[in-house]
Amino acid sequence: MMKAPVGGAKHQLLPSCSLLALLAAFTLPTQVQAQVATPPLTRAGTTISNTASATFDTGGGSTTINSNRVDLLVDELLDVTVDSSNPADVPTTPGATGQVLTFSVTNTGNGVENFVLSTIANAGGDNYDPVVTQIYIDNGDGVFDPGTDTLYTPGANDPQLDPDESVTVFVVATTPGGVVDGNRGIVSLVAAAVTGTGAPGTSFAGQGEGGGDAVVGSTGADGADAGAFIVSAATVTLVKSAVVTNPLGTADPIPGATITYTIVATVAGSGSVSGLAITDNIPADTSYVTGSITLGGVAQSDAVDADAGDYNGTRINVALGTVAGGQTRTVTFRTTID
Amino acid sequence: MRTVLFLFLAALSPGQALAANQVALANDVFVERVTTDAQGKQRILLEEPKVVVPGDRLVFVLNYRNAGAQPADKFVITNPLPAAVRFADAGDTRPLVSIDGGRGWGQLDQLTVALNDGTRRAAQPDDVTHIRWAFQKPIPVGGSGKLMFRGVVK
Repeated sequence: MMKAPVGGAKHQLLPSCSLLALLAAFTLPTQVQAQVATPPLTRAGTTISNTASATFDTGGGSTTINSNRVDLLVDELLDVTVDSSNPADVPTTPGATGQVLTFSVTNTGNGVENFVLSTIANAGGDNYDPVVTQIYIDNGDGVFDPGTDTLYTPGANDPQLDPDESVTVFVVATTPGGVVDGNRGIVSLVAAAVTGTGAPGTSFAGQGEGGGDAVVGSTGADGADAGAFIVSAATVTLVKSAVVTNPLGTADPIPGATITYTIVATVAGSGSVSGLAITDNIPADTSYVTGSITLGGVAQSDAVDADAGDYNGTRINVALGTVAGGQTRTVTFRTTID
Repeated sequence: MRTVLFLFLAALSPGQALAANQVALANDVFVERVTTDAQGKQRILLEEPKVVVPGDRLVFVLNYRNAGAQPADKFVITNPLPAAVRFADAGDTRPLVSIDGGRGWGQLDQLTVALNDGTRRAAQPDDVTHIRWAFQKPIPVGGSGKLMFRGVVK
């Protein structure tokens, strides 16, 4: 015999109530609780079946009866989110091609769904519009490689995602030539359920996975997120000055006087310049003073060798390599007036 | 006369009619649809759904009736929670719940769940697997009533 636990509901003898009264009873004090999205969601097409049982004794021993069974079909919820995967603005340079922003697209619905991808680059809030050239679907390694990732064509290979599945998407863009240092360009990736989008609750009859309807969820069945490029360019200015000394102790440019040239290279901007070199021809009617090149006060040899400076008989050259914005380089050399 | 009564009851009960001549248990499930009117007031409508989506709030209503000739003693109603439904509340009906598939029973606020680190935490509505009402007095002949609980489609 079944042992009924003690401490349950008190015996209630409620009158058989009508549906109307039932509605009223539940309509009044119910507080609406926020729906907590606790993944994973019940898969679309699942049938929820509920049956209760009653056990009792009418004198002939314990008897158990079952209630009727209520079956509910779970519809497909269409939901998607897009997130930028770049933790910060992606540096670019004027005119650069193949500039990549990375996004992740996640099916937050409860059924398998295809999503169509598009980009918006002219929404404003930035300094320029990157020119989107391609969208690629990642092959799973999270690293952009046009050789192994899949070029996306809307309608042809809209990514298909299971519930909770994510895919990495690369947006490839060209930076216009006219942009300047510090300019920002925003690109948003948009993903939309192929079945349909709309206001939450919009229903697409019979189009849900498992035979039910497809219902637009809280995301509107489309999602977007923005990524941004930041132009990181640098400019170089050169300032050249000359000081004359002569054996007389004056500054007159007489034959035999020495001219010390100073060239200051200043790099400005948030980027850097690479392969920077300073070259200067030795003026006519002057002669280069052997071994007189300095860089930052350090003497340089005239030969093409490990140090940065050289002299080839007609000009001096100092290879500065890569110089970041905000830095200066000072080169000096001397000549004598013939 | 009995036929008339039966029809009358059928009209009252939205789902399954309670069978005559015995103890009967009828099960109805409604979904709470919340609408907001022009004044910003929320109204909650109960609909009998055929289909639901995750996040829908369901109201399970159990109507019992002793239509037999003897009082029904040791009356216990048990409702295993469908796997895709997360228990929310049972109004003021104070059911016993199980969080271990029907082995142990208690009031939800008295149950605890063992954690991996050896400690125990208080049971949450999420943990509930079964709901049970145990009546301390027999259901007299002709006695009836209803019980309810709410759940959310996971």
